Amino acid sequence: MNDFRLNIKEKPKLFNMKRIYVLAIFLLSGFLNTAHANSLDFLRSTGKIYSVIVVIATLIIGLAWYLFRLESRIKKLEKTHNHGK
Amino acid sequence: MTDFKSNWWKILGIILLLYSVVFGLGVPLKHGILQVDQFTTKSNTQLKIKVEGYNSHYDEYATSAWLKIDSVHYIESNLCRALSATLIECAFYIPPHLPSKDSVVSASLIIDNKYDGYAILPEAIFIEQHIIDVSKGESLWSPSGSLENIHINKEFKFPFRNILHETVRNTFYHVSLWFAMFILLIASLVYAVKYLRQPHSDFDKKAYALNAVAILYGILGLITGSIWAKYTWGTFWTTDVKLNMTAVAMLIYFAYLILRQSINDVDRRARLSAVYSIFAFIALIALVFVIPRLTDSLHPGNGGNPALGGEDLDNTLRMVFYPSIIGLTLIGIWIAELKFRLATIEEKVRMN
Repeated sequence: MNDFRLNIKEKPKLFNMKRIYVLAIFLLSGFLNTAHANSLDFLRSTGKIYSVIVVIATLIIGLAWYLFRLESRIKKLEKTHNHGK
Repeated sequence: MTDFKSNWWKILGIILLLYSVVFGLGVPLKHGILQVDQFTTKSNTQLKIKVEGYNSHYDEYATSAWLKIDSVHYIESNLCRALSATLIECAFYIPPHLPSKDSVVSASLIIDNKYDGYAILPEAIFIEQHIIDVSKGESLWSPSGSLENIHINKEFKFPFRNILHETVRNTFYHVSLWFAMFILLIASLVYAVKYLRQPHSDFDKKAYALNAVAILYGILGLITGSIWAKYTWGTFWTTDVKLNMTAVAMLIYFAYLILRQSINDVDRRARLSAVYSIFAFIALIALVFVIPRLTDSLHPGNGGNPALGGEDLDNTLRMVFYPSIIGLTLIGIWIAELKFRLATIEEKVRMN
C-alpha cells in the first residue's frame, strides 16, 4: 500500500489552512449566540451583516487560493511524471 | 495561472461564489409583516390591532391597512396610527355578516404605504360570525377599489416570506448545494455509463471524482439544512419525509465509497462502482424527488409541491440563486478535476 504514496519533497500544508478555517468558525460562532437571543434585531442591523459578508468572502478567497496551490502542485507532479515516463 | 484559456471557468466559479455571498447576504428584504397582537375576533366589533412590520417606515409615510377574505371581499381600516417605524395600530370595523356560510373565516392582513410598498400576512385574523347571512355579507365586504391602488416597491430586494424571513437567503447556499450535487451526480453517471461501454480507466477515475465531490456537497447540504432547522424548528433533525429520505440516499452513496475502498483489483472495482453508482442515482431520484411529493412535509417548498419554481421563487431570488448553483458546480468540477489528475499520477507511479 505504501507504493501508492507519492515521494514528493513538499507535502501540501493542510494543517495551516485547517487552523484558519477552525479559527474562522470560532470567530463566527460569536454571532450564533446573539442570533438566539433576538434573531430579528441582529439581522436587521445591516451594518453587522457586512462583517459576516467580509468573513465569508475571506473564506471563499482562502478556498480559491488553496485550490490554485493544489493546481500548481499537481501540474508540477504531472510534468515530472510525464518526463519520467 | 499560466493557461487562462482552459482554466477560465475556475475563476468564473470563484467569482460567482463571491457574487452569491455578497449579494445573497447584502441585499435587504422587502417590507413584511412580522406579527399581529390578536388572532381572532368576532363580527360586528370594533377591532384594534397592533401590527409589527419589518423593513418598514410607518412613522414617516401614511400607511393604510385592509383585511381581505378573497379578491372580491375586503374592508379597509378606519384609522391607522403609527407608533414607531415598525409598529402600527390599525382600527377596523368588522361588519356583522361575512360573505361566507362558515362560522369562522380567515382574513389576510395587507399593510401598504407609498415608500415601503405592500406587505401581506396571510390568515392573520380569524373572524367568528354568529348570524350567517351570506347576501348581506357580500354587500358589506364588497371592494371599494382601494386595494387596486396599493404600491409596489420597485427596489431590488428579496421577498419577505412568512416563517422564513431573513433565512430565505439559505436558498443561495443550502438549496444550491443540493442542485450542484445533483448536476455533479448526473455528470458522474455519464462517465459510469461510458465506462461500462468502454472500460477506459479515465472514465472510472472521473466518475469516482465527481461522485466524491457530490457526496461532499450532500454532506454540506445536510449540515446547512440541520443548522437552519435548529433555528427555525428548534431541533437539528425531525421525523420528516424529505429529511429522512435524503439521509437514506446519502447513506447509499456512503456505501459507494466503502465499496470502492474494499476492492483491490482495479478493473473489478471500476466495473462494480459504475454499476452501483447507476443504482444509487436511481434510488436518489426515487427517495429525494418522488417520495417527498407524495406526502406532506415541514420542509419549505413542500407540503405537496416543490420549491423549484412557480410562486416560491421570486425573480430577485433567481438572480442570485442561479449564479450560486453555477458557481458551486464549477468549483465542484474543479475539485473533481484535481482529484482525477492526482489519481492519474498515482496510477502512473504504481505502474512504474
